[in-house]
Amino acid sequence: MSASGQIGVDHARAACGRDDRLVAGFAALAIAIHILEAAFPSPLPGVKPGLANVITLIVYLRHGLRLAVWVAAMRVLVGSLLVGTFLSPTFLLSVTGAVAALSALALVGTIGGQRIGPVGLSVVSSLAHMSGQISVAYLLFIPHPALLKLVPVLLTAALLFGVVSGLIAASVLQILRRREAAR
Amino acid sequence: MADPGSQAGSEYPADPRPLIRGGDILILLLAAGLVGASFGAFWGPRGEGETALVTVDRSVIRELSLDQDGVFEIEGRIGLSTVMVDGGRVRFLDSPCPGRYCVHSGWLHRSGEVAACLPNGIVVEVLGGEREFDAINL
Repeated sequence: MSASGQIGVDHARAACGRDDRLVAGFAALAIAIHILEAAFPSPLPGVKPGLANVITLIVYLRHGLRLAVWVAAMRVLVGSLLVGTFLSPTFLLSVTGAVAALSALALVGTIGGQRIGPVGLSVVSSLAHMSGQISVAYLLFIPHPALLKLVPVLLTAALLFGVVSGLIAASVLQILRRREAAR
Repeated sequence: MADPGSQAGSEYPADPRPLIRGGDILILLLAAGLVGASFGAFWGPRGEGETALVTVDRSVIRELSLDQDGVFEIEGRIGLSTVMVDGGRVRFLDSPCPGRYCVHSGWLHRSGEVAACLPNGIVVEVLGGEREFDAINL
């Protein structure tokens, strides 16, 4: 966790382990959030706030796609090992969601550039995350029309949580920026 | 402690950008439209039945179009049953069975709905459109 305190320290820039430590620190944060969320019961299967994606978003906006992919990969892998869903259907859904979310993030982030802030990116990646998961769940696990009846509810939840995550990420980014400006 | 205006040359603009930008609002509108459309697409009107399949002792006797109103007599095991089609619905009007359960089933119009007269061996099933469930087991 201490690695996250190293952000922006100049002498670390020279060290080749800087990125590794950033990834480790952010991944640790994301994993902690992931596990905390797993501990809370969900009113609807498949719906959870996905606050760990706040971390992915922050890393993407501050350090680029490569580190964001690393952090998300670590989170999915270690998170599933700790929660106990490694290589289960849940794990596959988790991977799918992460891949879809990162793809959407990269796509919209590249096209939109500075015009799109954390909230827009968060909503896009949240909807992509959910859509990817629903597709895989429908095609591989539950090819039943009843699942499709859930789609509007799941997408609504994804939209709301996407906005919330985006606002949290935007606030955190502002705070970080002010801290850096003051330094 | 932070004075954002004093560090204009830093990597991030000193002026904190607004939490929500113009592009974000555009994305929010598009996303809301998409989610709204998903309600229409997945919760839209179910397919109404299109035909009624009449079987006697498991062999198909005839397929009645629900568009064409009329009263049809079906020869069953123990006698004649009367089936009526009216305005996209179908029902048993009469049957020579003791309980008349088939008649009490009433109008059928949704795809997958079934009324059966077991003593007479006649089953009427609505076909076409999207089938609904008769039970969901979780």
